[in-house]
Amino acid sequence: MSRRPESDTGPAIRLAGLRKVYTTRGRPPVVAVDGLDLTVERGEIFVLLGPNGAGKTTTVEICEGLLDATSGVVEVLGLEWGRDAERIRAQIGVSLQDTRLFEKQTVAELCALFAGLYEPSRTVAELIALVQLEEKANTRYAHLSGGQRQRLAVATALAGRPELLFLDEPTTGLDPQSRRALWDVIRAYRDEDGGTVVLTTHYMEEAAQLCDRVMVVDHGKAIALGTPAQLIAGLGAAHVVEVRAPGLAARVEEGVLGGIDGILEQHAEGDRLHLSVTEPHVALPGILRAFERASIELDALTTRHTSLEDVFVHLTGRQLRDGGES
Amino acid sequence: MRGRVLRAVTRTVLLEHLRTPEAVFWTYGFPLVMALVLGFAFGEGRVEPSRVAVVDTAPPALVEAIDRHAEQRVMASTLSPAEAHRALTLGLVDLVVSGSPERPVFDLDPMRAGSELARLQVERALLRAGGLVDPGAASVIRPVDEPGDRYIDFLIAGLIGMNLLGAGMYGIGYNVVMMRSNKLLRRLAVTPMRRGEFLAAFLMSRTVLALPPPLAILAFGILVFGVPVHGSWLALLGLILLGTLTFAGLGLLVASRARTSESVSGWINLVTMPMWLLGGIFFSNERFPDLVQPLVHAMPMTHFTDGMRGIMLGSFGTGEIAASALGLAVVGLVSFVAALRLFRWS
Repeated sequence: MSRRPESDTGPAIRLAGLRKVYTTRGRPPVVAVDGLDLTVERGEIFVLLGPNGAGKTTTVEICEGLLDATSGVVEVLGLEWGRDAERIRAQIGVSLQDTRLFEKQTVAELCALFAGLYEPSRTVAELIALVQLEEKANTRYAHLSGGQRQRLAVATALAGRPELLFLDEPTTGLDPQSRRALWDVIRAYRDEDGGTVVLTTHYMEEAAQLCDRVMVVDHGKAIALGTPAQLIAGLGAAHVVEVRAPGLAARVEEGVLGGIDGILEQHAEGDRLHLSVTEPHVALPGILRAFERASIELDALTTRHTSLEDVFVHLTGRQLRDGGES
Repeated sequence: MRGRVLRAVTRTVLLEHLRTPEAVFWTYGFPLVMALVLGFAFGEGRVEPSRVAVVDTAPPALVEAIDRHAEQRVMASTLSPAEAHRALTLGLVDLVVSGSPERPVFDLDPMRAGSELARLQVERALLRAGGLVDPGAASVIRPVDEPGDRYIDFLIAGLIGMNLLGAGMYGIGYNVVMMRSNKLLRRLAVTPMRRGEFLAAFLMSRTVLALPPPLAILAFGILVFGVPVHGSWLALLGLILLGTLTFAGLGLLVASRARTSESVSGWINLVTMPMWLLGGIFFSNERFPDLVQPLVHAMPMTHFTDGMRGIMLGSFGTGEIAASALGLAVVGLVSFVAALRLFRWS
């Protein structure tokens, strides 16, 4: 059940020319967000993807009213923080990065606390059921696992039946099972309540699995925006061939791969070679023949679909590695 | 202020405290142990006999005269002149006696009250030994240990004040800063709860928690030591409630900006130390030098302990009680308003 009035049809979030500069005395200013334009439509799951320090959290915390923008336009649910702070707070739900709740309260008590802060609100039983913490209802926060704490954080964010949900790195450090459980909660919120979700992550897989649209952020700037499929299609290559052999990069430099059909892009480093190809069955025979001619013994050869990771590598020349996903 | 918000936060803060057993000990156990120890240490004690060294070069008649006529008020030992002086410098004896019974010579530290007392006791013993009438023989001595005049009667009000100050500084100040440093306050900041609602709920729950210990200390003093309450009970309880709120407001002020336990500890010390020293907790503040008197009278602790003692002894009229209450209320109100303006969630 959504409590969205019929008239509210504008975007959930509109950012235009958003900039945030941190100034610390005695140090050069740090530009955390550098001219971001962004529109999040109602009812979509929108992911901000980027490495640590890319400016994701700063952007989200400006939208949540925790930080002031240095300059730019910030509209949340058609409202502005300077004028309508209390109305915005009543309509958003937030899970911050590494927050701790009251250690000695149980799951049920914490749900009751947050439900008490909103009007209308969900019941405690509803909240616990949403994130499937029924068995832990009477367990104190201090005794919950990381995954249970994250689920509880999302439950507290849903306490006021928000129209817009902000989740800042909700699955960082979780095992794959806990991560999928949280994805289910997020999808259910969008599908059943018609809510809008803004989520930050540095996990490619999470963005690909969960989001309707993704914005790739690096150094405070948007470097790509679209559905995961659009971004991947934008590379023009549907598949990636990865090859490993001793001293491979040096041999590739010599031109052993010359004149093979269907290779769009190649990137070699050390023992590794990374090829973007449109159709593996066309390109692979040529590649294998080339290695045979040059007497290169392969340690490994794998092919896979192009992923968002490849998009990031293509755009920045760097791996998005710090997430521990690779 | 919305009732459901206040209730939700108040309940959480109350439970959080009651589930911390060590905090319960420090608020209840510690002041009671302190009252017991100090009450007995200063309540039942006798004055120790003066310790005197008689040099071994003096005629034996000198030692004999002191031993026989000092009525246990002097404990004399015989030492060589060098040892005797060493003992005096180290404070092991109050007085060194040499010379003769007729013409005694005293070595003493004129700054030490104990030395003066020892000299008077020895002089009196020597007078009696010489067959003279004791000038104090006709005096009537009435020991004072009636309830109301003892140290413990003075101390109870101070212990209650100290307890309320601690509840404000640590129960509120320190706790709020810990909530800020582990980012719990930021999480609350993105809810529709208003700043004033949060502060009021915190104040209310901590007031509920802070009230029982003073009552326990008071009951303890009355039951164990027979500490009397001559004045109005209503005024006494009212002043305790007002004191609780005032020190709670001061706690919120201390916590309004600090981000780490180190910085809030500094602020707490800054507020606590002068009040412990000058606020009339353990000893009367009337004898402090004129220079610090303005500070003494500006402190909420002074208003609290003065008012409490005035009510308990029945020496304060309505006007004086109202003055103490007003002094407290002003500090409390100013602190709360300042805290409301300065408070930051992160």
